[in-house]
Amino acid sequence: MKHVVVVGSGASGVHFAQSALDNGWRVTLVDVGRTAPAAELPNASFAQLKREHPDPAGYFLGERFEGALFPGGKGEYYGFPPHKGYIFAPLDGLALRSRGFDPLLSFARGGLAEAWTGGSFPFAPAELCDFPFEPERLVRYYGVIAGRIGVSGAVDDLARFLPGHEHLAPGLRLDAHSEALLGAYERAKPRLNRELRCFVGRSRSAVRADEREDRHGCTYLGRCLWSCPREALYTPSITLRALLRREGFTYIPDHVVTRVDADDSNRVKRLHARHVASGAALELDAPRVAFAAGTLASSKLLLDSLRAHGGAAPTLTGLMDNRQVLVPFVNLALLRKRVELDSYQYHQLALGLERDDPRHYVHGLVTTLKSALIHPIVQSVPLDLSSALWIFRNAHAALGLVNVNFHDERRESCSLSLDVARDGGSTLLVRYEPAADESERIRATLRDVKRALRQLGCFAPPGMTHVRPMGASVHYAGVLPMQREGGALTTTPLGESRAFGGLYFVDGSTFPFLPAKNLTFTLMANAARIADEAFGR
Amino acid sequence: MKHSSDERSPAPPRPPVQAGAAQRVDSLLERECDVFVRYLSGVAPSEYVLERYLAAHAAGVVEPPGGAADFERWIVRRASSATWLVRALDAHQRVFANGSLLRRKLVLLLALLEVRAPHAEAIDTPTGSSRAAMLFVLAWLGARFALTLLVATLVLAPVQLAFKLGGRA
Repeated sequence: MKHVVVVGSGASGVHFAQSALDNGWRVTLVDVGRTAPAAELPNASFAQLKREHPDPAGYFLGERFEGALFPGGKGEYYGFPPHKGYIFAPLDGLALRSRGFDPLLSFARGGLAEAWTGGSFPFAPAELCDFPFEPERLVRYYGVIAGRIGVSGAVDDLARFLPGHEHLAPGLRLDAHSEALLGAYERAKPRLNRELRCFVGRSRSAVRADEREDRHGCTYLGRCLWSCPREALYTPSITLRALLRREGFTYIPDHVVTRVDADDSNRVKRLHARHVASGAALELDAPRVAFAAGTLASSKLLLDSLRAHGGAAPTLTGLMDNRQVLVPFVNLALLRKRVELDSYQYHQLALGLERDDPRHYVHGLVTTLKSALIHPIVQSVPLDLSSALWIFRNAHAALGLVNVNFHDERRESCSLSLDVARDGGSTLLVRYEPAADESERIRATLRDVKRALRQLGCFAPPGMTHVRPMGASVHYAGVLPMQREGGALTTTPLGESRAFGGLYFVDGSTFPFLPAKNLTFTLMANAARIADEAFGR
Repeated sequence: MKHSSDERSPAPPRPPVQAGAAQRVDSLLERECDVFVRYLSGVAPSEYVLERYLAAHAAGVVEPPGGAADFERWIVRRASSATWLVRALDAHQRVFANGSLLRRKLVLLLALLEVRAPHAEAIDTPTGSSRAAMLFVLAWLGARFALTLLVATLVLAPVQLAFKLGGRA
């Protein structure tokens, strides 16, 4: 039986592994694999947790109150709750420095997508034009992945930006605020479409309402932000758990891969790892290796391998990430209404702004505020806290947030390289410079978003728009682009490295372009495509 | 001190404290917790909120980065005497020192209140006023804020100057 070693259990790794197993390959997955804490009171709703949890402050704010956001603090509103800390906990021995970029890495089972909000947005054909293969070769895998993970949504006005695919289930029950926004859109649609080229519709999310053979449906507990205790919201660790039951699959947790070795003809032959706790070395004979550790970690592995093989490590250019801008808004029609806590908490609607170049499409995730913590918002109201709280009580149900995503393109000035210490250890250097026209693009787009909100009966309070730092969206891509022909620091259309034969990159590092959409759904589809096309029966 | 009686589960054990100074600190913290929670919610803090408030101080998360200035500590001491004083000093600190010790303590308490019933339920409940009444209250809150800010600024400016001259601002 043919054998492939996969590095990393994130969204790309587990779907690559699943397809390779389906094709008759033996798969070994090496992973640090930190595990999630057990779900607490798994059937309790958000409001019940506040009544019945023995230590709700420990649950919501953390044992060390790390979830409390103080005035003037560095934390971002809508950040990650304390018990998701295991997802982003750093790893000893993996050093990283950055400029213009706030990088996040994950060593959790399931990787970064353990903290995603489920956005499953297929790339449109125009957004795939830099990919060195016909879009159809990727598009059909959206249906494959949707069948595996369960994606809900609708083919509506956003279909011009979000193509339909197989296995798209009906959307979840809308919360009252999202329903009101959609109703307002229907009334304002002619103007919005014509004047602003703005379209609103149902979001696409990796969550379903119906029970499946191995998954619960969403029961609207309102705990999405704190990890769905019923696993109705898909995360890659669910697939990993299923893989563990399959013949031909071997999981090696608690190990961090350090590099690969190649033979004289530059074909990969061995993989080196070390035990996270003891440091004990592990070597695996591996004629084929698939890196799925995420753009930053996979790139560091390649650079360390090149350094070990040839003595020098080059600079990888073209790092991309989606700039995100958060635009809070108040829906005047919902003032003085009671907030609906028992509802799905992430984006139920999306907003699309058409641009002259279809690759420059702007995508907004519309999240209505329900069960997120409120103290970060109340403290930002420019009044004393008691008055601010009174206002908030009457405005809670009316609050929402548009997370505006911008596309990114490969540029020489955005790069990854190694800084090698005397003792041989290496530090990954991340450099990012925004495009020269970024500020103007953001300004023009925000003007349109705020005008659209006004036409929906909402207004964006001045001074509260927040431009997130680069790196915050965790949609990293682009440093080893897939190209039909290219140099050693590119990959083939099947994601195979041109530096080392037999070494495949099945994560976002090979994407030659990054549209303004969460890339996770496409990561999974592309990993399944590579497994089928390069690791067929 | 009066506590709400609707606790449904025992509060986590309080970390052991040493007699003397530590107990005096706890007593001050209990006092300010009581006044600050009344200011925010109109009722006394529950045992659980008080326990967590003390625990947060013991964990060292309340002090501003770099530590609080003497003037900030003085503000907290004054604020813990009465709810109307908290309002005035909070208004002042919101405008002139948003990350100050008083604001951090108040925000911590708000965070504790919002995660625990019954305070949490009150926070999620609209006041039930009509649109006209709401507009009126909004105008009143704005006017009261402006007035208290003005008075607090006039009173605190010489105090802060004195702290500065004493090298303790």
